[in-house]
Amino acid sequence: MTSPDNVARLRRAAPAVLLLVVLVVATMLRPGAGTLRLASPDRSHVDQLRQAIGDLPSEALVLIACDGDLGTYPEIRATTRAAIEDLGAHGARLAIVSFTPEGRAIAAAERDRIARSGAAEPPADLGFIAGAEAGLVRAVSSVVPAAAQGPTFDAIRQRGGGIGAFDMVLIVSGSDISARSWVEQVGPRLPDLAMITIAPTFLDPELEPYLRSGQLRGLLATLREGTAYADAVTSGPAADRGPGIAPLPMLVGMLAALAALAEAASRRLARRARRPSRRPMS
Amino acid sequence: MRRTILAGIVLVTGLVVLLDLLIVNPSLGDAAGAVNELLVLLAAAAAVGGGATLVAHHARNLAAGDGDSIGSVVLLLGMAAVLVAGLRPGSSGSADPAVLWLIAALLAPIAASLFALLFIFVLGAIRRGFVLRVRETSLMAAAAAVVIVLLLPLGGQAGDWLAAGAGWVRDVPLAGVFRGLLIGIGILVAVGAARSLLALDRDDD
Repeated sequence: MTSPDNVARLRRAAPAVLLLVVLVVATMLRPGAGTLRLASPDRSHVDQLRQAIGDLPSEALVLIACDGDLGTYPEIRATTRAAIEDLGAHGARLAIVSFTPEGRAIAAAERDRIARSGAAEPPADLGFIAGAEAGLVRAVSSVVPAAAQGPTFDAIRQRGGGIGAFDMVLIVSGSDISARSWVEQVGPRLPDLAMITIAPTFLDPELEPYLRSGQLRGLLATLREGTAYADAVTSGPAADRGPGIAPLPMLVGMLAALAALAEAASRRLARRARRPSRRPMS
Repeated sequence: MRRTILAGIVLVTGLVVLLDLLIVNPSLGDAAGAVNELLVLLAAAAAVGGGATLVAHHARNLAAGDGDSIGSVVLLLGMAAVLVAGLRPGSSGSADPAVLWLIAALLAPIAASLFALLFIFVLGAIRRGFVLRVRETSLMAAAAAVVIVLLLPLGGQAGDWLAAGAGWVRDVPLAGVFRGLLIGIGILVAVGAARSLLALDRDDD
């Protein structure tokens, strides 16, 4: 039995259900090359970041500061994984640290993924350092846990045991700690430290000036730049990076948003046109 | 009096950290390091205190039957699950498989779902906005539509033009407004801090 109420309810839910079905189908389809393109045609940021990594000395020590947040990390996940692959392909010795609890969760999951894939050695785990920016300042002089054992930890200790021991820092930025905190807190204390960052799009206006001033050596802060970079890094099978972001579902979502905006605006205009004029009749 | 003591502490610690950045001196470095250690301890204590307050608040709500009981139970159970997984004997803390599973199977999908729902809620808010405030909502919707069009992931020459337009919007108007806001906030914070340090807000005593 279907009551009129149920029919009305179904009719209201129909657009959302239809959109969901279309999005699911869109994630399964692969359009022909050239029709849709997510990667940014402007490769300047990608080239800058690749050059910064390419300039590293052999067996360079690179610190991955993983402070993404669970909400925005999916946007930069594929780019971060591509960067870790890229650094590994250049023979860098990696260590990973976090200054936020969510960043620590992401870092532990990434280490676990690399260890399970067996394709490379996971980054040496420097763990979580409490205190947010105060912890960042403390890590300038000491970043290695006392009980940590291994060749990478020994190499860091031999070079002083702090962030200054590293040739470069890859900052995975999030809403709490971003490359801005690094530029402000670590930059003045270690002016020779090369810093590159991967950030979600909302941080781009904040971080772009640091790239132009040279305080950051590389910045990937939009999905399109990240995709271009991930495409450019060809070492290793792409399937290891987990689910990527396909252009077709994105296009469907954007068109749905435009349609909803147009429908809301036209409905408002139609209502205004139907409203009787307030001017007195002469 | 209490305000003067607090202002004095802020002044002294601020000056120590600032001087440590400007002058290379081991004693000054040690003093700034000690201040920083205290700050780390303070942050850790604040985090633990915040967690304990949250637990106490929801436990009190449950006991009194106030508020959203189901929400309180879910929150307390969630906290307990993560704490037990990370602190039980033999656990490897945040790298423990149970903690990783809780994050990968529960926390990350929940956070991603909430962010995905923003898409629906923002569109719903714009629809309501057209009813309440037509001019402001029209302006916002028009700007959003322009940005969406510029970000359409099209290939070919059209895609290049759109991408160039999106880059210009990001680099010029958006960056300009954002930097203006940041500079304004910076000036306000500096003035506020200076007034506090120089005890110019004595009227509040």
